Amino acid sequence: MAPSARELLTRLAPDFPARHVGELYDDTTEFMRIGYGDVMVLGERHFLVLRDEAERRFGMEDPKYWVKRCRCLETGGRNIVKLVFHENFPMTIGSMVVTCTRSPRKETRILDLVRGDPRFMQGETIYDAADNPVRILDLVAGKRLDEKIEALEMPHRDYFHDLFPTVLERFIEACQAIKWLHDRNEKHGDVRRDHLYVLHDSGQYCWIDFDYTFDFQESPFGLDLFGLGNIIQFLVGMGQHTTQSISPALRAQITSDDCSIMFPNRIVNLQKLFPYIPLEMTNVLRRFSLAAEVYYDTAGELIDDLCRARQALGRNGI
Amino acid sequence: MNTDKILIAYDGSDNAQRSVAYVAAMVGHDGTRQVDVAAIERPADRDLFADDAAWKAECQRRNAAMRDALDQARAMLVAAGIPDDKVGTRFVESCRSPLREATECSIGTSIALEVLRLAEEGGYGTVVVGRRGVSKQEEFLFGSVSTKIIHAAKGLAVWVVA
Repeated sequence: MAPSARELLTRLAPDFPARHVGELYDDTTEFMRIGYGDVMVLGERHFLVLRDEAERRFGMEDPKYWVKRCRCLETGGRNIVKLVFHENFPMTIGSMVVTCTRSPRKETRILDLVRGDPRFMQGETIYDAADNPVRILDLVAGKRLDEKIEALEMPHRDYFHDLFPTVLERFIEACQAIKWLHDRNEKHGDVRRDHLYVLHDSGQYCWIDFDYTFDFQESPFGLDLFGLGNIIQFLVGMGQHTTQSISPALRAQITSDDCSIMFPNRIVNLQKLFPYIPLEMTNVLRRFSLAAEVYYDTAGELIDDLCRARQALGRNGI
Repeated sequence: MNTDKILIAYDGSDNAQRSVAYVAAMVGHDGTRQVDVAAIERPADRDLFADDAAWKAECQRRNAAMRDALDQARAMLVAAGIPDDKVGTRFVESCRSPLREATECSIGTSIALEVLRLAEEGGYGTVVVGRRGVSKQEEFLFGSVSTKIIHAAKGLAVWVVA
């Protein structure tokens, strides 16, 4: 049985309720046993576990028992501590199933690569007593981009004319960050709109969570590009639009070619809903539609087209 | 364009074997043409394995299987009548391979572009590739060696065996 954390907490966290004092762990292999009030010993530091992190998607909360919200007893700072959890799991994308793998060492490598780069979450890896690579992550001082967009209460036209040009500018920078990874033969692995944060201080976008990997040989960055496509659709549309969510009159104008190549009910040719979207932006969106004959091969190609769309917004006086 | 040199892009799959069979049938008794079968190493992604020992073992298994497949392809071409000295094999190791010994290596971002590089450097006039016949969705996400070869090839003929 692991030793008690009582002495340590009495000394370093006297405010912590004594009845919740847990145990000390220097081996984090059995992460399911580690919970509120326990303390993880990692290198020279001690991390008091406050709770398990959870992912909130589609109105449901999915606990991540290997990801702990912690307080560092030495610094008093809050950290997210990711413990080692090896898993392969099927990811369903439209009608296809892709095998994803969670890789602590990939995330460790990328954290080292992006150190000091505000376009990516920051952190370091400390090896526990059992040599597990435990990632100590800084909390991202920002808010999820998709939540910010969804919280907007304004007509799409106003959003597109007033806010979207800045959103696009920032998103192009975020795409450049992904290209930067690809240029170094690394993939993000889990490019999703809820993995892109807006930093409070600078307004810059910041990617989080790089521990997924997948084995696509001929198109090693295909899933990242697909994720970028999903995000730009969401940003242009100020949310996601499906054939079920529009009026019957509009629906009559939508064909399968206007919808996502992967999700047949998701409208990607948003110009049909919002005619003021310039052709250059529509051309980008159509590359992700069922009508597409040529697909983006690199993030650089997508960035070039997004830059053309940005110029078109300027030409239209937006 | 050198019509006397043919390069078969080979990965050991059924489609690739069909492309070898097709070339054997096309040029089997014509002793003037050089036919080379090339495989580009596809090492397993290191991040998919918990440790390097497991990764290395998988890479070794894949390499051995690919070299066997190359030998079989060669045997098939010779059996079809192509002179022994007119059939070659080429295995291009990956720069990321933990087993690599060769000085030349594939950087591994595109099998198709590696094949075209070999074709250009070797002065081949024809590249032969098998095609699986993937869906639009699969091609979008996973890419397609044959499609990329068709799009990127310049100054040579491409035979696609479906």
